[in-house]
Amino acid sequence: MENTRNTAREWVHGLTALILGLFLLGISSGLGVMKSIVDLWGSILFIPEYPAVFLREMFIGWRSWSRDKNTLNDELERLRNENAKLRLDLAKLNSEKIYESHDNEIRTARVTLRAPMSWWSEIRIDRGKQDKITQGLPVFSNGYLIGRVSSVSLMSSWAELITSPSFMIPAVIEETRELGVVVGDGNGSVLLRYIPAGRGVRSGMKVSTAMIGEQVPPGLPIGQISGEFSAGVDGYTTYRIEPGADMSRFYTVSY
Amino acid sequence: MILIILWLIQDLLTVFTGGGMQIPGLFMLGLVYRLLTDESNDENVNLWGIWSAFAGGILWDLRWIGIPGFFTLGYVVVVLAVIQVWGIIPPQSRNSGTGLIVFILMEISQLIPPLLPVLILGGAAGWQYFLTQQIYSLPAILFCIYFYNRKAKNRM
Repeated sequence: MENTRNTAREWVHGLTALILGLFLLGISSGLGVMKSIVDLWGSILFIPEYPAVFLREMFIGWRSWSRDKNTLNDELERLRNENAKLRLDLAKLNSEKIYESHDNEIRTARVTLRAPMSWWSEIRIDRGKQDKITQGLPVFSNGYLIGRVSSVSLMSSWAELITSPSFMIPAVIEETRELGVVVGDGNGSVLLRYIPAGRGVRSGMKVSTAMIGEQVPPGLPIGQISGEFSAGVDGYTTYRIEPGADMSRFYTVSY
Repeated sequence: MILIILWLIQDLLTVFTGGGMQIPGLFMLGLVYRLLTDESNDENVNLWGIWSAFAGGILWDLRWIGIPGFFTLGYVVVVLAVIQVWGIIPPQSRNSGTGLIVFILMEISQLIPPLLPVLILGGAAGWQYFLTQQIYSLPAILFCIYFYNRKAKNRM
C-alpha cells in the first residue's frame, strides 16, 4: 500500500515536472523576459567559466601559433630553394657574361712544344709578353679550361695543364654549388677533391671555376663529373672529372 | 553537491571545447548513478531525483539552448524511466546480474536528452553532433558501470 502510494507520488511529481517543462517550452519562446534571464544566467556563470574560457583562448592561441610556425617554416624552405635557384641563375648569368667577354677578345696561340716527359704537365705556346700574355692567364681548348700560363717570355709562354699534379684551382659543381679543388694526377686524369660526402653529386654534373679563384675568373667551364674516384675517411669524396677539352689532342689553344 | 560540481564540469568542458565537441552528459550520469546506488531507502530520493533533473535541465537550457524546456523534458523523462525500471527489480536482487540493465539506463540518460533538440530543430549537423556525443559518452558510461559493479560487490 505504502509502495503504491510512493509510486503514485513519483508519477504526480514527474508529470508535474514534465507539464511545467512543456509549459515553459511553449511560452518562453514568445517571452522577452526569457532573454534577460538567459543573459543573467550567462553573466552569473561567467565567473566560474572564466578558467575554461582562458584555457580555450590559450589553446586556440597555441594552435594558431603552431599553424603559423609551420606556415612560416614552409615559406622559409620555399624562399631558401628560391634563393638557391636565383644564386644558380646569377652564376650562370655571370658565366655567360664571361663567355661573351672572352668571345669578344678571344685570341689563339699555337702549341709549339709538348714534351713527352711532361706530357700531362705543361705546354709551350707561341705567344709571349709582346702579345699581352701574363702569368696566370687561363688557357682554353674547345671553349674549356685546359690550364693557365705559368711563365712568360718575350715571344713564348709556358702553360701548366689541368692534368698536372701541381695544378690546383678552386672549382664549383654548378648543379649543387658544392666547392672543391681541381687537381691533376700527372697521368691524364683530372680530379675534384674535398667535396663533402652525401651531397647528391652525380655523373654528368658540370664543373667550372669558382668565384674564389685569385687570377682565374669564375664560371670558366672545366668539364663534367664522370664518377666517384674515392671516398675518404674524413667525410670528403674525390670525383673524377672528364675535361671538356680533348687533353690528348690540341694543336692550338685560345686565351 | 556532487551534482552541482558535475553540472559545472560539463558546462566548463563545453565552454572549453567551444561547442566544437559534444561533451558527455556528466550531470545525468551522476544523477542516474546516484539513484541506482541509493541505499538509504528514503522514499523522497526519487522525488529529489525528479526535481534535480528538472533544475539541471532548466539551467542547461538557459545556458546553452536559450529556451527552457528542451533538456528539462529529456532529463525528467530519463529520471522517470530510471525510477520505474529500477522499481520493478526487487531491492535484494539489485546487486547481482543487473550490469546490463544499469548500462541500458545509463545509455538512456545519454540518449534521450540531446535527442529532443535534434528532433525538433533537425539538421544534418545536429545528428552528427548527437552521434558524436554518444561515442564520447561511452567511456564515461563504462566508467560508471565499473564503479557500480565495485560497489555492488562490496554490498554482497
